[in-house]
Amino acid sequence: MKMTVDREITLRMAKAAQLHIEPEQVGRMMDSINDILDFCALVGDLDCEGTPDFMWKMKKLPARRPDAPKDWPERELFESKAPAFEGEFFKVPRIIVEG
Amino acid sequence: MARPIVIGLEVHLQLNTKTKLFCSCSTDYIGRTPNTNVCPICLAVPGTLPLLNDSAVALASRMGIGLRCKIQNYSTFGRKNYFYADLAKAYQITQYELPVATGGYLEIEVNGETKVVRLHHLHLEEDAGKLVHPTTDGRLTGAAYSLVDYNRGGVPLTEVVSEPDMSSPAEAKEYVSRLRQLARYLDVSDGEMESGSLRVDANISLSKPDGSLGTRVEIKNMNSFKSIERALEYEISRQNKVLDSGGRIVQETRLWDDAEGVTRSMRNKETASDYRYYPEMDLAPVVIDDSEIEDFRRRMPELPWEKRERFAAFGLTKEEISILTEQRELARYYEDVVSAGAPPARAANWVRMEVLRVLNELGIDITGFKVKPGALAELVKKVEAKELSNTLGKEILDVLAREDISLADAVKRSGASAGRLTGASLDEIIKKIVSANPDVVETIKNGEDKKGGKIKFLQGLVMKEARGQADPKEAAESLAKNLDL
Repeated sequence: MKMTVDREITLRMAKAAQLHIEPEQVGRMMDSINDILDFCALVGDLDCEGTPDFMWKMKKLPARRPDAPKDWPERELFESKAPAFEGEFFKVPRIIVEG
Repeated sequence: MARPIVIGLEVHLQLNTKTKLFCSCSTDYIGRTPNTNVCPICLAVPGTLPLLNDSAVALASRMGIGLRCKIQNYSTFGRKNYFYADLAKAYQITQYELPVATGGYLEIEVNGETKVVRLHHLHLEEDAGKLVHPTTDGRLTGAAYSLVDYNRGGVPLTEVVSEPDMSSPAEAKEYVSRLRQLARYLDVSDGEMESGSLRVDANISLSKPDGSLGTRVEIKNMNSFKSIERALEYEISRQNKVLDSGGRIVQETRLWDDAEGVTRSMRNKETASDYRYYPEMDLAPVVIDDSEIEDFRRRMPELPWEKRERFAAFGLTKEEISILTEQRELARYYEDVVSAGAPPARAANWVRMEVLRVLNELGIDITGFKVKPGALAELVKKVEAKELSNTLGKEILDVLAREDISLADAVKRSGASAGRLTGASLDEIIKKIVSANPDVVETIKNGEDKKGGKIKFLQGLVMKEARGQADPKEAAESLAKNLDL
Protein backbone atom coordinates (compact mmCIF):
# COMPACT_ATOMS: atom_id res chain seq x y z
CA MET A 1 0.00 0.00 0.00
CA LYS A 2 1.43 3.36 -1.00
CA MET A 3 1.92 5.92 1.77
CA THR A 4 2.16 9.70 1.48
CA VAL A 5 2.89 12.51 3.90
CA ASP A 6 1.16 15.87 3.99
CA ARG A 7 2.42 19.22 5.22
CA GLU A 8 1.35 18.58 8.80
CA ILE A 9 3.10 15.20 9.05
CA THR A 10 6.23 16.69 7.47
CA LEU A 11 6.34 19.37 10.17
CA ARG A 12 5.85 16.75 12.89
CA MET A 13 8.65 14.62 11.46
CA ALA A 14 10.98 17.64 11.41
CA LYS A 15 10.12 18.37 15.01
CA ALA A 16 10.74 14.77 16.09
CA ALA A 17 14.13 14.85 14.35
CA GLN A 18 14.91 18.22 16.00
CA LEU A 19 15.36 19.85 12.58
CA HIS A 20 14.89 23.56 12.13
CA ILE A 21 12.89 24.13 8.96
CA GLU A 22 11.79 27.41 7.38
CA PRO A 23 8.14 27.58 6.13
CA GLU A 24 9.29 27.89 2.51
CA GLN A 25 11.32 24.65 2.84
CA VAL A 26 8.39 22.51 4.01
CA GLY A 27 6.99 21.85 0.53
CA ARG A 28 10.33 20.70 -0.84
CA MET A 29 10.92 18.40 2.14
CA MET A 30 7.40 16.96 1.81
CA ASP A 31 8.03 16.22 -1.90
CA SER A 32 11.36 14.56 -1.08
CA ILE A 33 9.81 12.31 1.54
CA ASN A 34 7.01 11.36 -0.84
CA ASP A 35 9.60 10.54 -3.55
CA ILE A 36 11.32 8.21 -1.05
CA LEU A 37 8.00 6.59 -0.15
CA ASP A 38 7.20 6.13 -3.86
CA PHE A 39 10.52 4.41 -4.30
CA CYS A 40 9.93 2.16 -1.28
CA ALA A 41 6.51 1.26 -2.67
CA LEU A 42 8.28 -0.45 -5.57
CA VAL A 43 9.14 -3.25 -3.12
CA GLY A 44 5.48 -4.19 -3.27
CA ASP A 45 5.93 -5.15 -6.94
CA LEU A 46 8.65 -7.69 -6.13
CA ASP A 47 7.81 -11.34 -6.35
CA CYS A 48 9.21 -12.78 -3.06
CA GLU A 49 7.70 -16.21 -3.46
CA GLY A 50 10.19 -18.88 -2.32
CA THR A 51 12.84 -16.43 -1.08
CA PRO A 52 14.73 -18.12 1.78
CA ASP A 53 14.77 -16.63 5.28
CA PHE A 54 17.61 -14.10 5.49
CA MET A 55 18.40 -14.90 9.15
CA TRP A 56 18.88 -18.51 8.18
CA LYS A 57 21.64 -17.35 5.87
CA MET A 58 23.14 -15.07 8.53
CA LYS A 59 23.75 -18.04 10.79
CA LYS A 60 25.99 -19.57 8.15
CA LEU A 61 28.29 -16.53 8.03
CA PRO A 62 31.69 -16.63 9.73
CA ALA A 63 30.38 -14.15 12.26
CA ARG A 64 33.38 -14.35 14.57
CA ARG A 65 37.13 -14.30 14.10
CA PRO A 66 39.92 -15.97 16.15
CA ASP A 67 41.57 -13.87 18.86
CA ALA A 68 44.95 -13.58 17.12
CA PRO A 69 46.80 -10.23 17.13
CA LYS A 70 48.04 -8.78 13.87
CA ASP A 71 49.88 -5.47 13.43
CA TRP A 72 48.74 -3.03 10.80
CA PRO A 73 51.91 -2.35 8.81
CA GLU A 74 50.96 0.99 7.27
CA ARG A 75 50.46 3.05 10.37
CA GLU A 76 52.23 6.09 8.92
CA LEU A 77 49.38 6.31 6.41
CA PHE A 78 47.04 7.35 9.22
CA GLU A 79 49.40 10.07 10.26
CA SER A 80 49.72 11.41 6.74
CA LYS A 81 45.98 11.21 6.01
CA ALA A 82 44.78 12.54 9.36
CA PRO A 83 43.45 16.11 9.27
CA ALA A 84 45.87 17.00 12.06
CA PHE A 85 48.53 15.09 13.98
CA GLU A 86 50.81 16.24 16.81
CA GLY A 87 53.61 14.09 18.12
CA GLU A 88 52.06 10.63 18.37
CA PHE A 89 48.50 11.90 18.74
CA PHE A 90 45.58 12.77 16.52
CA LYS A 91 44.80 16.43 17.04
CA VAL A 92 41.13 17.39 17.36
CA PRO A 93 39.22 20.56 18.24
CA ARG A 94 39.05 21.21 21.95
CA ILE A 95 36.58 19.05 23.82
CA ILE A 96 36.32 20.77 27.18
CA VAL A 97 34.07 23.79 26.97
CA GLU A 98 34.62 26.56 29.51
CA GLY A 99 32.06 27.03 32.26
CA MET B 1 13.23 9.92 59.21
CA ALA B 2 16.14 8.90 57.01
CA ARG B 3 15.30 8.55 53.35
CA PRO B 4 15.96 5.02 52.02
CA ILE B 5 18.99 4.87 49.71
CA VAL B 6 18.70 3.17 46.33
CA ILE B 7 21.86 2.32 44.41
CA GLY B 8 22.33 0.51 41.12
CA LEU B 9 25.73 -0.02 39.51
CA GLU B 10 27.07 -0.36 36.00
CA VAL B 11 30.44 -2.07 36.07
CA HIS B 12 32.66 -2.13 32.99
CA LEU B 13 35.27 -4.84 32.80
CA GLN B 14 37.98 -4.93 30.15
CA LEU B 15 38.05 -8.49 28.87
CA ASN B 16 41.26 -10.54 28.90
CA THR B 17 41.44 -10.94 25.14
CA LYS B 18 44.55 -10.60 23.02
CA THR B 19 42.84 -8.47 20.39
CA LYS B 20 40.22 -5.76 20.19
CA LEU B 21 36.51 -6.48 19.89
CA PHE B 22 36.16 -5.92 16.15
CA CYS B 23 39.70 -5.94 14.74
CA SER B 24 43.00 -7.79 15.20
CA CYS B 25 44.87 -4.94 16.93
CA SER B 26 46.52 -5.90 20.21
CA THR B 27 44.81 -4.96 23.47
CA ASP B 28 48.18 -4.60 25.19
CA TYR B 29 48.19 -0.82 25.24
CA ILE B 30 49.49 0.14 28.68
CA GLY B 31 52.78 1.96 28.21
CA ARG B 32 52.66 1.65 24.42
CA THR B 33 53.42 4.57 22.11
CA PRO B 34 50.10 6.31 21.38
CA ASN B 35 48.26 5.28 18.23
CA THR B 36 50.38 2.20 17.50
CA ASN B 37 47.69 -0.43 18.27
CA VAL B 38 45.45 0.87 15.51
CA CYS B 39 44.20 -0.19 12.11
CA PRO B 40 41.65 1.02 9.56
CA ILE B 41 38.81 -0.73 11.43
CA CYS B 42 39.32 0.84 14.87
CA LEU B 43 40.10 4.18 13.21
CA ALA B 44 36.81 3.99 11.28
CA VAL B 45 38.31 4.34 7.83
CA PRO B 46 35.39 4.28 5.37
CA GLY B 47 34.83 0.93 3.69
CA THR B 48 36.09 -1.20 6.59
CA LEU B 49 33.93 -3.76 8.35
CA PRO B 50 34.07 -4.96 11.95
CA LEU B 51 34.34 -8.68 12.70
CA LEU B 52 33.55 -9.96 16.19
CA ASN B 53 36.27 -11.46 18.41
CA ASP B 54 35.36 -15.04 19.33
CA SER B 55 37.17 -14.89 22.71
CA ALA B 56 35.21 -11.81 23.77
CA VAL B 57 31.98 -13.75 23.29
CA ALA B 58 33.38 -16.68 25.27
CA LEU B 59 34.60 -14.49 28.15
CA ALA B 60 31.37 -12.48 28.39
CA SER B 61 29.42 -15.74 28.39
CA ARG B 62 31.68 -17.18 31.09
CA MET B 63 31.09 -14.10 33.25
CA GLY B 64 27.37 -14.44 32.58
CA ILE B 65 27.37 -18.06 33.66
CA GLY B 66 29.34 -17.15 36.80
CA LEU B 67 26.67 -14.56 37.58
CA ARG B 68 23.86 -17.10 37.00
CA CYS B 69 22.55 -15.11 34.01
CA LYS B 70 20.68 -16.63 31.12
CA ILE B 71 23.03 -16.74 28.13
CA GLN B 72 21.08 -15.68 25.09
CA ASN B 73 21.16 -17.82 21.95
CA TYR B 74 20.72 -14.70 19.88
CA SER B 75 22.00 -11.21 20.62
CA THR B 76 22.71 -8.16 18.51
CA PHE B 77 24.84 -5.04 18.35
CA GLY B 78 23.66 -1.48 17.92
CA ARG B 79 25.19 1.91 17.33
CA LYS B 80 25.15 4.38 20.20
CA ASN B 81 25.66 7.76 18.62
CA TYR B 82 27.63 10.47 20.33
CA PHE B 83 29.82 13.11 18.85
CA TYR B 84 33.01 12.91 20.82
CA ALA B 85 36.51 12.34 19.49
CA ASP B 86 37.37 9.40 21.76
CA LEU B 87 35.66 7.16 19.20
CA ALA B 88 36.64 7.76 15.60
CA LYS B 89 33.30 6.55 14.24
CA ALA B 90 31.27 9.09 16.29
CA TYR B 91 29.31 6.12 17.59
CA GLN B 92 30.05 3.21 19.88
CA ILE B 93 29.22 -0.34 18.88
CA THR B 94 27.41 -1.81 21.86
CA GLN B 95 24.73 -4.33 22.66
CA TYR B 96 21.49 -2.58 23.45
CA GLU B 97 18.17 -4.26 22.76
CA LEU B 98 19.38 -7.86 22.86
CA PRO B 99 22.38 -8.32 25.18
CA VAL B 100 24.43 -11.50 25.42
CA ALA B 101 23.18 -12.38 28.93
CA THR B 102 20.17 -11.38 31.02
CA GLY B 103 19.03 -11.77 34.62
CA GLY B 104 21.29 -13.40 37.18
CA TYR B 105 22.40 -12.29 40.61
CA LEU B 106 25.37 -11.86 42.90
CA GLU B 107 25.41 -12.52 46.63
CA ILE B 108 27.18 -10.06 48.89
CA GLU B 109 27.77 -10.05 52.63
CA VAL B 110 27.85 -6.85 54.67
CA ASN B 111 28.01 -6.80 58.48
CA GLY B 112 27.36 -10.54 58.59
CA GLU B 113 24.15 -10.23 56.52
CA THR B 114 23.88 -11.91 53.14
CA LYS B 115 22.08 -10.00 50.42
CA VAL B 116 21.19 -10.91 46.86
CA VAL B 117 21.80 -8.22 44.25
CA ARG B 118 19.80 -8.96 41.10
CA LEU B 119 21.31 -8.22 37.72
CA HIS B 120 19.49 -6.70 34.79
CA HIS B 121 21.85 -7.87 32.07
CA LEU B 122 25.42 -8.16 30.86
CA HIS B 123 26.46 -6.91 27.43
CA LEU B 124 29.45 -6.54 25.15
CA GLU B 125 30.74 -3.21 23.87
CA GLU B 126 33.90 -1.51 22.67
CA ASP B 127 36.05 0.79 24.79
CA ALA B 128 36.80 4.36 23.72
CA GLY B 129 40.19 5.96 23.07
CA LYS B 130 41.90 8.30 25.51
CA LEU B 131 41.79 12.05 25.25
CA VAL B 132 44.54 14.36 26.42
CA HIS B 133 43.83 18.02 26.99
CA PRO B 134 47.14 19.84 26.81
CA THR B 135 47.25 22.82 29.11
CA THR B 136 50.33 24.46 30.52
CA ASP B 137 49.06 24.18 34.08
CA GLY B 138 47.57 20.66 33.82
CA ARG B 139 43.97 21.84 34.25
CA LEU B 140 41.21 20.24 32.16
CA THR B 141 39.88 23.56 31.03
CA GLY B 142 41.77 26.09 28.99
CA ALA B 143 43.18 23.75 26.33
CA ALA B 144 43.15 25.16 22.81
CA TYR B 145 42.73 21.68 21.34
CA SER B 146 42.64 18.01 22.39
CA LEU B 147 44.82 15.02 21.52
CA VAL B 148 43.56 11.47 21.00
CA ASP B 149 45.23 8.12 21.50
CA TYR B 150 43.14 5.33 19.93
CA ASN B 151 45.20 2.44 21.34
CA ARG B 152 42.40 1.69 23.81
CA GLY B 153 39.64 2.37 21.29
CA GLY B 154 37.91 -0.90 20.47
CA VAL B 155 39.22 -2.92 23.42
CA PRO B 156 36.43 -5.34 24.47
CA LEU B 157 34.37 -4.49 27.53
CA THR B 158 31.61 -6.32 29.24
CA GLU B 159 29.21 -4.15 31.18
CA VAL B 160 27.37 -5.73 34.10
CA VAL B 161 24.24 -3.77 34.92
CA SER B 162 22.66 -4.38 38.31
CA GLU B 163 19.13 -3.74 39.46
CA PRO B 164 18.87 -0.91 42.02
CA ASP B 165 19.13 -3.37 44.89
CA MET B 166 21.88 -1.85 47.02
CA SER B 167 20.99 0.37 49.93
CA SER B 168 24.31 1.65 51.26
CA PRO B 169 27.76 2.66 50.00
CA ALA B 170 29.23 -0.32 51.89
CA GLU B 171 26.97 -2.68 49.91
CA ALA B 172 28.00 -1.03 46.66
CA LYS B 173 31.67 -1.42 47.52
CA GLU B 174 31.18 -5.05 48.51
CA TYR B 175 29.27 -5.74 45.29
CA VAL B 176 32.12 -4.38 43.15
CA SER B 177 34.62 -6.31 45.24
CA ARG B 178 32.74 -9.61 44.74
CA LEU B 179 32.26 -8.90 41.04
CA ARG B 180 35.97 -8.26 40.62
CA GLN B 181 36.81 -11.42 42.55
CA LEU B 182 34.58 -13.43 40.23
CA ALA B 183 36.09 -11.83 37.10
CA ARG B 184 39.54 -12.72 38.36
CA TYR B 185 38.59 -16.28 39.32
CA LEU B 186 37.17 -16.76 35.83
CA ASP B 187 40.15 -15.11 34.07
CA VAL B 188 37.65 -12.79 32.43
CA SER B 189 39.43 -9.57 33.44
CA ASP B 190 42.28 -8.46 35.67
CA GLY B 191 39.82 -6.05 37.28
CA GLU B 192 42.44 -3.39 38.07
CA MET B 193 40.64 -0.18 38.92
CA GLU B 194 43.84 1.86 38.94
CA SER B 195 44.67 1.02 35.33
CA GLY B 196 41.04 1.44 34.26
CA SER B 197 40.27 -2.18 33.42
CA LEU B 198 37.40 -2.02 35.92
CA ARG B 199 35.24 1.12 35.89
CA VAL B 200 32.16 1.81 37.92
CA ASP B 201 29.25 4.16 37.29
CA ALA B 202 26.68 4.44 40.05
CA ASN B 203 23.05 5.48 39.90
CA ILE B 204 21.84 6.74 43.23
CA SER B 205 18.60 8.17 44.50
CA LEU B 206 16.81 8.74 47.79
CA SER B 207 13.30 7.36 48.03
CA LYS B 208 10.33 9.66 48.58
CA PRO B 209 8.20 9.50 51.76
CA ASP B 210 5.56 7.46 49.89
CA GLY B 211 8.23 4.86 49.05
CA SER B 212 8.48 5.71 45.36
CA LEU B 213 11.90 6.16 43.79
CA GLY B 214 13.46 9.61 43.85
CA THR B 215 15.27 11.29 40.98
CA ARG B 216 18.44 9.41 40.24
CA VAL B 217 21.87 10.89 39.71
CA GLU B 218 24.69 9.12 37.93
CA ILE B 219 28.16 9.28 39.47
CA LYS B 220 31.27 8.68 37.37
CA ASN B 221 35.04 8.83 37.83
CA MET B 222 35.35 6.64 40.92
CA ASN B 223 38.78 5.08 40.48
CA SER B 224 39.21 3.01 43.63
CA PHE B 225 37.14 1.00 46.08
CA LYS B 226 37.61 3.73 48.63
CA SER B 227 36.38 6.37 46.20
CA ILE B 228 33.19 4.36 45.48
CA GLU B 229 32.29 4.49 49.14
CA ARG B 230 33.35 8.12 49.62
CA ALA B 231 31.59 9.37 46.48
CA LEU B 232 28.32 7.66 47.40
CA GLU B 233 28.47 8.87 50.99
CA TYR B 234 29.05 12.42 49.77
CA GLU B 235 26.21 12.17 47.26
CA ILE B 236 23.75 10.86 49.87
CA SER B 237 24.63 13.75 52.12
CA ARG B 238 24.34 16.26 49.25
CA GLN B 239 20.94 14.96 48.13
CA ASN B 240 19.64 14.93 51.71
CA LYS B 241 20.72 18.57 52.16
CA VAL B 242 19.03 19.61 48.91
CA LEU B 243 15.78 17.86 49.88
CA ASP B 244 15.90 19.09 53.50
CA SER B 245 16.12 22.66 52.26
CA GLY B 246 13.07 22.18 50.07
CA GLY B 247 15.01 21.85 46.82
CA ARG B 248 14.67 19.16 44.18
CA ILE B 249 17.20 16.73 42.77
CA VAL B 250 18.15 17.27 39.13
CA GLN B 251 18.62 14.20 36.96
CA GLU B 252 22.22 14.57 35.87
CA THR B 253 25.65 12.99 35.62
CA ARG B 254 28.12 14.08 38.29
CA LEU B 255 31.87 13.52 38.39
CA TRP B 256 33.60 12.45 41.60
CA ASP B 257 36.54 14.71 42.46
CA ASP B 258 38.70 12.52 44.68
CA ALA B 259 41.08 15.29 45.74
CA GLU B 260 38.31 17.62 46.87
CA GLY B 261 36.01 14.85 48.11
CA VAL B 262 32.97 16.18 46.23
CA THR B 263 30.80 15.33 43.22
CA ARG B 264 30.41 18.01 40.55
CA SER B 265 27.74 18.39 37.93
CA MET B 266 29.04 17.24 34.56
CA ARG B 267 26.01 17.34 32.29
CA ASN B 268 22.31 16.70 32.28
CA LYS B 269 21.71 12.99 32.20
CA GLU B 270 21.25 11.56 28.73
CA THR B 271 18.39 9.23 28.06
CA ALA B 272 18.44 6.42 25.52
CA SER B 273 16.73 8.61 22.92
CA ASP B 274 19.62 11.09 23.07
CA TYR B 275 21.92 8.41 21.73
CA ARG B 276 19.70 7.54 18.75
CA TYR B 277 20.45 3.85 19.03
CA TYR B 278 19.99 1.89 15.88
CA PRO B 279 20.99 -1.59 14.71
CA GLU B 280 24.60 -2.15 13.66
CA MET B 281 24.03 -3.48 10.18
CA ASP B 282 27.72 -4.23 9.61
CA LEU B 283 27.69 -7.04 12.18
CA ALA B 284 25.84 -10.31 12.01
CA PRO B 285 23.83 -11.23 15.11
CA VAL B 286 25.73 -13.17 17.77
CA VAL B 287 24.42 -16.72 17.67
CA ILE B 288 25.42 -18.94 20.60
CA ASP B 289 23.74 -22.30 20.33
CA ASP B 290 22.98 -24.55 23.29
CA SER B 291 25.92 -26.85 22.64
CA GLU B 292 28.31 -23.89 22.79
CA ILE B 293 26.74 -22.69 26.05
CA GLU B 294 27.10 -26.20 27.42
CA ASP B 295 30.76 -26.14 26.38
CA PHE B 296 31.25 -22.82 28.24
CA ARG B 297 29.66 -24.36 31.32
CA ARG B 298 31.91 -27.41 31.15
CA ARG B 299 34.99 -25.21 31.05
CA MET B 300 33.99 -23.13 34.08
CA PRO B 301 36.63 -23.15 36.82
CA GLU B 302 35.66 -23.42 40.48
CA LEU B 303 33.75 -20.34 41.59
CA PRO B 304 34.67 -18.36 44.73
CA TRP B 305 31.60 -19.47 46.69
CA GLU B 306 32.20 -23.11 45.71
CA LYS B 307 35.74 -22.79 46.98
CA ARG B 308 34.50 -21.20 50.21
CA GLU B 309 32.19 -24.16 50.78
CA ARG B 310 35.00 -26.62 50.19
CA PHE B 311 37.34 -24.75 52.53
CA ALA B 312 34.69 -24.88 55.26
CA ALA B 313 35.21 -28.65 55.27
CA PHE B 314 38.80 -28.02 56.47
CA GLY B 315 37.29 -26.69 59.69
CA LEU B 316 38.42 -23.12 59.05
CA THR B 317 36.68 -20.07 60.48
CA LYS B 318 34.59 -17.80 58.28
CA GLU B 319 37.22 -15.09 58.51
CA GLU B 320 40.03 -17.48 57.55
CA ILE B 321 38.04 -18.73 54.57
CA SER B 322 37.26 -15.21 53.47
CA ILE B 323 40.93 -14.18 53.50
CA LEU B 324 42.23 -17.38 51.92
CA THR B 325 39.71 -17.37 49.06
CA GLU B 326 39.89 -13.66 48.27
CA GLN B 327 42.44 -14.31 45.54
CA ARG B 328 42.30 -17.48 43.49
CA GLU B 329 46.12 -17.75 43.45
CA LEU B 330 46.35 -17.48 47.24
CA ALA B 331 43.63 -20.11 47.64
CA ARG B 332 45.50 -22.40 45.29
CA TYR B 333 48.74 -21.85 47.21
CA TYR B 334 47.01 -22.74 50.48
CA GLU B 335 45.53 -25.89 48.97
CA ASP B 336 48.94 -26.92 47.68
CA VAL B 337 50.43 -26.46 51.16
CA VAL B 338 47.71 -28.72 52.58
CA SER B 339 48.15 -31.25 49.76
CA ALA B 340 51.86 -31.36 50.62
CA GLY B 341 50.95 -32.61 54.09
CA ALA B 342 50.53 -29.56 56.34
CA PRO B 343 47.57 -29.78 58.75
CA PRO B 344 44.78 -27.57 57.23
CA ALA B 345 44.17 -25.40 60.30
CA ARG B 346 47.88 -24.76 60.92
CA ALA B 347 48.52 -24.16 57.24
CA ALA B 348 45.65 -21.65 57.17
CA ASN B 349 47.20 -19.80 60.07
CA TRP B 350 50.62 -19.68 58.45
CA VAL B 351 49.36 -18.54 55.06
CA ARG B 352 46.97 -15.99 56.52
CA MET B 353 49.37 -14.51 59.07
CA GLU B 354 52.94 -15.15 57.97
CA VAL B 355 52.80 -15.52 54.19
CA LEU B 356 50.61 -12.43 53.81
CA ARG B 357 52.91 -10.52 56.18
CA VAL B 358 55.98 -11.39 54.11
CA LEU B 359 54.18 -10.59 50.83
CA ASN B 360 53.22 -7.23 52.26
CA GLU B 361 56.78 -6.53 53.39
CA LEU B 362 58.17 -7.48 49.99
CA GLY B 363 55.42 -5.65 48.10
CA ILE B 364 54.67 -8.68 45.90
CA ASP B 365 51.73 -10.99 45.35
CA ILE B 366 51.60 -14.74 45.84
CA THR B 367 52.56 -15.47 42.22
CA GLY B 368 55.97 -13.94 42.89
CA PHE B 369 56.49 -15.69 46.25
CA LYS B 370 59.72 -17.70 46.35
CA VAL B 371 58.64 -20.20 49.01
CA LYS B 372 57.08 -23.15 47.25
CA PRO B 373 54.02 -24.74 48.90
CA GLY B 374 55.99 -27.96 49.56
CA ALA B 375 58.67 -26.03 51.47
CA LEU B 376 56.09 -24.20 53.58
CA ALA B 377 54.34 -27.50 54.32
CA GLU B 378 57.66 -28.98 55.54
CA LEU B 379 58.30 -25.91 57.67
CA VAL B 380 54.83 -26.07 59.22
CA LYS B 381 55.29 -29.76 59.95
CA LYS B 382 58.63 -29.11 61.67
CA VAL B 383 57.03 -26.48 63.88
CA GLU B 384 54.14 -28.84 64.61
CA ALA B 385 56.62 -31.57 65.59
CA LYS B 386 58.39 -29.01 67.84
CA GLU B 387 61.61 -29.48 65.89
CA LEU B 388 61.46 -25.72 65.39
CA SER B 389 59.94 -23.07 67.57
CA ASN B 390 57.27 -20.81 66.13
CA THR B 391 59.68 -17.89 66.28
CA LEU B 392 62.42 -19.74 64.46
CA GLY B 393 59.93 -21.04 61.90
CA LYS B 394 58.92 -17.47 61.07
CA GLU B 395 62.57 -16.42 60.81
CA ILE B 396 63.25 -19.29 58.42
CA LEU B 397 60.23 -18.32 56.31
CA ASP B 398 61.63 -14.80 56.06
CA VAL B 399 64.96 -16.18 54.85
CA LEU B 400 63.33 -18.53 52.33
CA ALA B 401 61.24 -15.67 50.94
CA ARG B 402 64.24 -13.41 50.43
CA GLU B 403 67.11 -15.70 49.46
CA ASP B 404 67.74 -18.54 47.05
CA ILE B 405 68.24 -21.16 49.71
CA SER B 406 66.73 -24.58 50.40
CA LEU B 407 64.68 -25.27 53.52
CA ALA B 408 67.32 -27.72 54.76
CA ASP B 409 70.09 -25.11 54.40
CA ALA B 410 67.96 -22.39 56.02
CA VAL B 411 67.22 -24.66 58.98
CA LYS B 412 70.89 -25.59 59.26
CA ARG B 413 71.97 -21.94 59.11
CA SER B 414 69.50 -21.04 61.83
CA GLY B 415 71.35 -23.37 64.18
CA ALA B 416 68.24 -25.40 64.82
CA SER B 417 69.31 -28.52 63.00
CA ALA B 418 70.15 -30.26 66.26
CA GLY B 419 66.55 -29.87 67.33
CA ARG B 420 65.41 -28.34 70.64
CA LEU B 421 67.81 -26.67 73.02
CA THR B 422 68.07 -28.68 76.19
CA GLY B 423 70.56 -29.93 78.79
CA ALA B 424 74.10 -28.66 78.32
CA SER B 425 73.23 -26.40 75.36
CA LEU B 426 70.52 -24.71 77.40
CA ASP B 427 72.83 -24.48 80.42
CA GLU B 428 75.39 -22.71 78.30
CA ILE B 429 72.87 -20.03 77.34
CA ILE B 430 71.71 -19.60 80.94
CA LYS B 431 75.29 -19.14 82.15
CA LYS B 432 75.85 -16.52 79.47
CA ILE B 433 72.74 -14.58 80.53
CA VAL B 434 73.55 -14.86 84.24
CA SER B 435 77.09 -13.57 83.79
CA ALA B 436 75.91 -10.74 81.55
CA ASN B 437 73.41 -9.48 84.18
CA PRO B 438 75.21 -9.48 87.57
CA ASP B 439 73.06 -6.67 89.04
CA VAL B 440 69.81 -8.47 88.31
CA VAL B 441 71.22 -11.73 89.69
CA GLU B 442 72.34 -9.97 92.89
CA THR B 443 68.88 -8.45 93.37
CA ILE B 444 67.29 -11.87 93.07
CA LYS B 445 69.79 -13.55 95.38
CA ASN B 446 69.32 -10.82 98.00
CA GLY B 447 65.64 -11.70 98.07
CA GLU B 448 64.63 -8.28 96.72
CA ASP B 449 62.69 -9.69 93.76
CA LYS B 450 59.43 -9.97 95.72
CA LYS B 451 57.13 -9.90 92.72
CA GLY B 452 59.32 -12.17 90.59
CA GLY B 453 59.75 -9.53 87.85
CA LYS B 454 63.54 -9.88 87.76
CA ILE B 455 63.52 -13.65 87.39
CA LYS B 456 60.95 -13.36 84.63
CA PHE B 457 63.21 -10.81 82.96
CA LEU B 458 66.09 -13.31 82.98
CA GLN B 459 63.78 -16.10 81.73
CA GLY B 460 62.79 -13.85 78.85
CA LEU B 461 66.42 -13.20 77.98
CA VAL B 462 67.12 -16.94 77.98
CA MET B 463 64.19 -17.69 75.67
CA LYS B 464 65.24 -14.86 73.39
CA GLU B 465 68.80 -16.12 73.23
CA ALA B 466 67.48 -19.63 72.57
CA ARG B 467 65.27 -18.10 69.84
CA GLY B 468 62.32 -19.96 71.22
CA GLN B 469 64.01 -23.33 70.81
CA ALA B 470 63.95 -24.10 74.54
CA ASP B 471 61.02 -25.42 76.51
CA PRO B 472 59.93 -22.49 78.75
CA LYS B 473 59.34 -24.76 81.74
CA GLU B 474 62.74 -26.46 81.45
CA ALA B 475 64.43 -23.08 80.91
CA ALA B 476 62.79 -21.67 84.07
CA GLU B 477 63.81 -24.69 86.14
CA SER B 478 67.40 -24.67 84.87
CA LEU B 479 67.69 -20.93 85.51
CA ALA B 480 66.44 -21.36 89.10
CA LYS B 481 68.92 -24.20 89.63
CA ASN B 482 71.72 -22.11 88.22
CA LEU B 483 70.90 -19.29 90.63
CA ASP B 484 70.71 -21.74 93.58
CA LEU B 485 67.09 -20.76 94.20
